Amino acid sequence: MYKILEKREIAMRNTWYKIHAPHVAKKVQAGQFVIVRAFENGERIPLTPVMWDRDEGWIVLIVFTRGKTTMRMAMEMKEGDYLPDVVGPLGNPAPMERFGKVLAIGAYTGIVEVYPIARAWQKIGNDVTTLHVTFEPMIILKDHLERAVSRHIVEPVPLDPNLDLKENMRNVTKRLTEKVREMLEKEDYDLVFMVGPVGDQKAVFGIVKEFGIPMRVDLHPIMVDGSGMCGACRVTVGGQIKFACVDGPEFDAYQVDWDELIHRVGFYADMERKAMELYMAGLMSRGVV
Amino acid sequence: MPKLIRGRVPTPERSVEERVRDFNEVNLGYTFELALKEAERCLQCPKEYAPCIKGCPVQIDIPGFIRALRVNKENPRKAVKEALGIIRANNALPAITGRVCPQEEQCEGVCVVGKVGDPINIGKLERFVADYAREHGIEDELLMEVVPNIRGNGKKVAVVGAGPAGLTCAAELAKMGYEVTIFEALHEPGGVLTYGIPEFRLPKEIVKKELEKVKKLGVKIETNVLVGKTITFEELREEFDAIFIGTGAGTPRIYPWPGVNLNGIYSANEFLTRINLMKAYKFPEYDTPIKVGRRVAVIGGGNTAMDAARSALRPGAEVWVLYRRTRKEMTAREEEIKHAEEEGVKFMFLVSPKRFIGDENGNLKAIELEKMELGEPDETGRRKPVPTGETFIAEFDTAIIAIGQTPNRTFLETVPNLKVDEKGRIVVDDNLMTSIPGVFAGGDAIRGEATVILAMGDGKKAAKTIHKYLSS
Repeated sequence: MYKILEKREIAMRNTWYKIHAPHVAKKVQAGQFVIVRAFENGERIPLTPVMWDRDEGWIVLIVFTRGKTTMRMAMEMKEGDYLPDVVGPLGNPAPMERFGKVLAIGAYTGIVEVYPIARAWQKIGNDVTTLHVTFEPMIILKDHLERAVSRHIVEPVPLDPNLDLKENMRNVTKRLTEKVREMLEKEDYDLVFMVGPVGDQKAVFGIVKEFGIPMRVDLHPIMVDGSGMCGACRVTVGGQIKFACVDGPEFDAYQVDWDELIHRVGFYADMERKAMELYMAGLMSRGVV
Repeated sequence: MPKLIRGRVPTPERSVEERVRDFNEVNLGYTFELALKEAERCLQCPKEYAPCIKGCPVQIDIPGFIRALRVNKENPRKAVKEALGIIRANNALPAITGRVCPQEEQCEGVCVVGKVGDPINIGKLERFVADYAREHGIEDELLMEVVPNIRGNGKKVAVVGAGPAGLTCAAELAKMGYEVTIFEALHEPGGVLTYGIPEFRLPKEIVKKELEKVKKLGVKIETNVLVGKTITFEELREEFDAIFIGTGAGTPRIYPWPGVNLNGIYSANEFLTRINLMKAYKFPEYDTPIKVGRRVAVIGGGNTAMDAARSALRPGAEVWVLYRRTRKEMTAREEEIKHAEEEGVKFMFLVSPKRFIGDENGNLKAIELEKMELGEPDETGRRKPVPTGETFIAEFDTAIIAIGQTPNRTFLETVPNLKVDEKGRIVVDDNLMTSIPGVFAGGDAIRGEATVILAMGDGKKAAKTIHKYLSS
């Protein structure tokens, strides 16, 4: 059992959990992830430790409220509660090399994965610029990143109440790609790294490719066990089947079969929506919301 | 000499209509009266001759435990306690092996009665003894006789993986006084017993009870620990006097057929893990989803294929098993094939996928299948399927690939000096010791894919050789 030492909402739909998980804290490196099971009847969900303390034995997870499980965590869990399961660290650490001038991009809560990697890259002598594009009320880790890297750029996109979520998200993608193009035209980068929704990763890759710059991405296919046992997270990379959990999560953007991955991550979207609606209806009927 | 009774006493089973829509156990097992009737059929071959004992991978004294039932027929409690004591001398998990062992190829396959009639139903008798003992507190009684006699010897052994091999090894070592810690990557111990075998064949309550017994012997089980990542192998070496590796064969084999990553195509491991470990069949009460379409193709002919097919059937799909040889060459147990057939699983033999065809949303809609014919026998002794070049397209919206597993490489990759063969199996000597002194291995990690009982046999043998190693 893993105690929640701290829990607070740090931005719209983004919750900060500081969790006592000494076995993970002791070993985790930038680029790795954990799998959390928050409830006895919950899912196993992959999340990224954003920061950690090896001596005190805690990790911080910043969780974006996306589906039923993350909504339940936000609604039902309190400081002092326990998560039944936190396993990790899983996946491979990000390569610690001197790439030179790096542009590390986080779309939405993808920035939480960028933070530890960008920080570590800067520490070993890279010149790292981070770019965070998200809806205005969802900006997170701004101060942390400003302290950690050469330059941190935030591109807030206003949430337009007259548009639906899809249209709003299209605005984020538009701003993201425009900004990346503008930055690549202005300056030379040796490497682009990006974490965020797979559609946005593909869109950014489309720009980076035009400039011929190397690009690496952390991928988030659907995952169950996270240790190479189920094969749910398989992605085609360089024409070969890879398991994101044990071969990744980082891959060469030029080798990824993006369309296949986009289809695969959406497989359960309708069921996830249904589960969320039922949960919300339950909360409403109990007068919680 | 009792009169030879050729026909078996049948075990009660739930009706097809009732069982096909839920995940509860299909076979109900014997009552004491029925078990006794079946036990009476045993010819009681002398122990030194009895083929059933030789046919059992862990050499259970089968005539002995059957005799214990017969001689104590007036006192079921005494009968079962004696019988269980005899079984437990060689097998710590009879409720499990009684359900999932391929008895028809082992003990029952060589039974003398089987030469003139049905072999003695050894598996169901074993299961009866274990179930009756559990339900009537006899098992706890036996355990309580063992536990107070355990004297700690101050030595520590680490076991990697809480599946059948690891659990057996740990239990045996604990009885000898070792301080044993099992490290398990998943959130629940049990390995394939927990994530792989469905409830209708092996209820998870039974697995839980068996696990409790192992814990009562003093074994510590640490879940959520992936050795190699959470704890390094070197750290284990420093902390423990010996290590047993029982990491199984958990990596699904995915043949790179074109389209194999389309939505709706599962590895059997993913499909069964969602159902068994995560209870996806109870969605949305349980949060993990699963999608079983209208027409499901299960590719493969082993027990895993049967488990996947019958699991897919329960939410109401039309399920086809596609196998590249014929029914005769299928590796699944006869009982499982029979249950699948009764429940309505359909079979298509001598076909092999050529490619998977998707719709515009990346979802599976059909499979192009190639017709096969049987050629010369291969290294397994079975006739090899040969492609004919003739293909056809069949509509399916879900496919489950059950063509086998390979040893889990996640852990192995973190131990650079550990010798493995070309198939990724850990190489061991006659004592089940690996290329690293003091590090032992067993079960599917050394065998590729085998059975629960063989894994348990390895666990038991390794416990003995670890004891020898640490005592010398």
